Amino acid sequence: MKRRILSIVLALSMLLAIFTLAACNKDNAGEISDFNFDTTKEVKIVFYHTMGEALRAVLDKHIVEFNKLYPNIKIEHSQVGGYDDVREQIKTEITVGDQPNLAYCYPDHVALYNVAMAVQPLDGLIGATATVTRQDGTTEQVGLTEAQVNNFIDGFYNEGKQFGDGKMYTLPFSKSTEVFYYNKTVFDQNGLKVPTHWWCGDACPAGCDTSLEYVCARLKAIDPNCIPLGYDSESNWFITMCEQLGTPYTSATGEHFLFDNESNHAFVKKFREWYLAGYVTTQELSGGYTSALFTKTDAGRCYMCIGSSAGANHQIPKDKDTGELLFEVGISPIPQANAAAPKVISQGPSVCIFKKKDNQEVLASWLFLKYLTTTVEFQAEFGLTSGYLPVLETVGTNEAYAAMLAQADGGFNLPQLATKVCLQQEKAYYTSPAFNGSSTARDEVGKLMQVCLAIKANANVDQEIKNAFKAAVDECKYQAG
Amino acid sequence: MTAQNITMQEKDMSRVHARQRVMKIAVQVGLYAFLGIMALIVIFPFYFMLISSVKSMDEYRQTVQTLWPRDIILHNYVDAFKTANLGTLFLNTMYVGVVSTILSLVITVLSAFAFARLEFKGRDAMFAALLATMMIPGELFTITNYATISAFEWKNTYTVLIVPFLVSVFYIYLLRQNFLQIPNELYLAAKVDGTSDLKYLWKVMIPLSLPTLISITILKMMGAWNSYVWPRLVANDEAHRMITNGLRNAFTDSTGDVNIPVQMAAVALVSTPLFLVFIFLRKYIMKGVSRSGIKG
Amino acid sequence: MVESKHPWKAWIYLAPAIVLLLIFTVWPIVNTLRMAFLENYNIMAATVPGVTFNVGLGNFQQVIQYGGFLTCLGNTMLICFLTVPISTFLALIIAVCLNAIRPLQRMLQTIFFLPYVTNSIAIGMVFAAMFNMIGNNFGGEGELLITAGIINNIIGIFGVEPINWINVGSSYAANVFVMVVYIVWNALPFKILILLGGLQSVNKQYYDAAKVDGTSRVRTFWRITVPLLSPMIAYVVITGFIGGFKEYSSIVGIFGEDMGPTGDPRRLNTMVGFIYDALANHQGRASAAALILFGIIFVVTMINLWVSKKKTHY
Repeated sequence: MKRRILSIVLALSMLLAIFTLAACNKDNAGEISDFNFDTTKEVKIVFYHTMGEALRAVLDKHIVEFNKLYPNIKIEHSQVGGYDDVREQIKTEITVGDQPNLAYCYPDHVALYNVAMAVQPLDGLIGATATVTRQDGTTEQVGLTEAQVNNFIDGFYNEGKQFGDGKMYTLPFSKSTEVFYYNKTVFDQNGLKVPTHWWCGDACPAGCDTSLEYVCARLKAIDPNCIPLGYDSESNWFITMCEQLGTPYTSATGEHFLFDNESNHAFVKKFREWYLAGYVTTQELSGGYTSALFTKTDAGRCYMCIGSSAGANHQIPKDKDTGELLFEVGISPIPQANAAAPKVISQGPSVCIFKKKDNQEVLASWLFLKYLTTTVEFQAEFGLTSGYLPVLETVGTNEAYAAMLAQADGGFNLPQLATKVCLQQEKAYYTSPAFNGSSTARDEVGKLMQVCLAIKANANVDQEIKNAFKAAVDECKYQAG
Repeated sequence: MTAQNITMQEKDMSRVHARQRVMKIAVQVGLYAFLGIMALIVIFPFYFMLISSVKSMDEYRQTVQTLWPRDIILHNYVDAFKTANLGTLFLNTMYVGVVSTILSLVITVLSAFAFARLEFKGRDAMFAALLATMMIPGELFTITNYATISAFEWKNTYTVLIVPFLVSVFYIYLLRQNFLQIPNELYLAAKVDGTSDLKYLWKVMIPLSLPTLISITILKMMGAWNSYVWPRLVANDEAHRMITNGLRNAFTDSTGDVNIPVQMAAVALVSTPLFLVFIFLRKYIMKGVSRSGIKG
Repeated sequence: MVESKHPWKAWIYLAPAIVLLLIFTVWPIVNTLRMAFLENYNIMAATVPGVTFNVGLGNFQQVIQYGGFLTCLGNTMLICFLTVPISTFLALIIAVCLNAIRPLQRMLQTIFFLPYVTNSIAIGMVFAAMFNMIGNNFGGEGELLITAGIINNIIGIFGVEPINWINVGSSYAANVFVMVVYIVWNALPFKILILLGGLQSVNKQYYDAAKVDGTSRVRTFWRITVPLLSPMIAYVVITGFIGGFKEYSSIVGIFGEDMGPTGDPRRLNTMVGFIYDALANHQGRASAAALILFGIIFVVTMINLWVSKKKTHY
């Protein structure tokens, strides 16, 4: 009996110890105020990204350049996997205070890290007027000059302040967007026009030949064994439609999940009709990137494809055996709902800096990030290698970059063509609000799209759409709550 | 008359025998037919995997799939090997498998010996407590263990793939049951002879329970081969990536139409080592697994 | 059992195991208990200085009230109550048949054991490919079917229309069917092995006696084989239930990490899948769900043990 009591006491005291242990926490460094960087002391910083081998080579090359200016900053960088892997890795590292200094990020990642208040706001750094003398004797201002800020493409730069608290947390690194790929050969043969809007409505006369719906119907009539359109990302589709139509999707403040509304039900219902008619498929519904359907020539092929501009090299229709081009590809901006206010998603990584106890680490990270994002040579070379869009307006002044753009065609130089199209729609880029739960919303509307498209032909469509929307909102609330 | 009767009886008897024999044959035929069909069902996925792995994409996508490939495209295997970078994955997995098996065996043998042969206070209570932990879903450990190994700074090392799972209560349990079957008299005799525990363990207990040890080895190797969730979390860098993760990554990150034949080739390549081990050590696996199983 | 002269020796032998278990098993259990009862506990939020969590049952409440929880629980129960009886019964029949033949016995035994040495994610990919249809918009007016998959081809020989097993628009019943087939296929080898081992150690006299009495085979099976095997049957049923409640990777293998067919993700989610989902951002809820699962497994195992104690004949 005595022993039993003893063991209970022991167990209780263990539990107590654990609770107290849990109560003491690591202290987090706050906003930094001292912007003087010590160029004599060695600092090591860690950068997580998703770059493949070729891009790492570009990065390494420019790290050498950077180290000529700041030999005391040692940069360790590693490819952690995909974007989700970076997020998962960092998320768990934050819990033990072991996060890197810099990382590739999407806005929702930042919102997630900020549950632990782990991300360094950049406003102080951007505005810092302190100067630092570099190894080659030149000096630079720690913060961004006005010219540097203006050189960023606005839509990309503003993504850093989408967090509802007015603070800036990220700098854009390299970007991509969605473009409309089409089989130019088949379009020309059949006298089809490139669609500029989704469907016929108030804005255009019924039966006009520039609506996507019309083109789908024509293509389906020409080749019944085709799926005219492949839309890669269900999530992007939903969110972009909300943006284009001006209907609520999410909000960073107040009630977050606003996408369950009549007008959103309506466009989803419309697209379900398209799906039932065999007009469209998506990545999830077809089981792979739709570029595969676009580049093949047998049953189940697509003649149009809305996908990432960075994936243009996958849209080149090469013959498997001979390597010859099977047809010519055209690229244009995606269809719009409102020609006056075009909207297209801005995707691709930004970079955030994590708070660290050592001020010098934060400053070193900032100087490195600033170097990468404001140096035209790096941005151009990175863009050339990756197919992603540089974030600077003046990148065209780079000779190599300009020469590359000049080569653009609808064949093997498709990536260049994609870039060219993207650079012309600079004003249309949007990013959706970021908050803790925004990635859930993104995932859920993607799933919602799948669910609604797959509603059976004989079902009570309106009711099922309503249920699916409600389920999606509930899921978001549960995940975010 | 009597002679006639006898022959009649003999005839009856032989008729009965004949009927019994026919029945017996019929039953045997039935048994073989049933087992044959079941065996076909069991083996079909492997067959499908193999034939699909050598088909061309076009042939795979035929409306009615062929049960024997028209052209055998072995190049799928080369593609699979390259796509999934199987070489590194194999080596990583082998390394983790071998090291963790050896360490795990040492720990398991020592613990099982203590539980089976030594008398100490709280032994039974502790053993019961250990068994109780087996009921807890292992997933529950993941999040805390992640925090622990991060604190140890073990992430993206081989250590993190090996150490946390060295102790398996199940293996200790298996081996203890096996040790218990070895007559106690042997141990007493050894004690009288002045043989040390360790020597006794090495000379008597281990040889006698070799089948179980071999099955533990194989189960452990299979564990390394099949692990997925934990490695994905703690060691997903290229240098330490394990085979299942590599397999899944290779075919989920791929751009374009999933090339199922190549995917099947990769699955076949990943499955082959397990089958080879199984074919050569079949007896031990089956004996070990079944023997330890029954005595629950 | 021998009283060792040096009781500390045992502890030395046990030391490595105990140390590792304390760190990687005992501490996680304690920590789980802690997290489960701290409302809205979240590891990320816990790193912020000054953040505290209320002690209470909030996590359990949230888990139970969440709509997806019942789906997970239902699926898990369904898996258990379908696959365990089916696989146990099939394994029993196969084991009895195997035991009754001589030639080819070993070869067949080997074949039946093959699924044991496979990787459940890898072979799940094979099953998915077998049931997968390639095309678009199945069942719609714009249907485009490139290949219906090998299983549909095979049942087509018997005049059955292609069934949408796992693709967009597939029915829940079809999904469950595929899932059950795969799980049973996966579970058979272990069960056959155990039951066959049991049969081979059964004293032949019982059967000889039955033969002399002229007892029918079916009767012999129910009256002699099953009772004699009852300890092994109990064992495979109990382990089968525990395994069933922890089912996760088979479903990932077939349906991917969305745990359902395209167009209805999470439809086939299980308790463990639920825990993993919650593990990402809601460690408190994940812990609560894990404790609930543990409770269920515990209760079911106790019932199983109780039943088998009443029914088994040693």
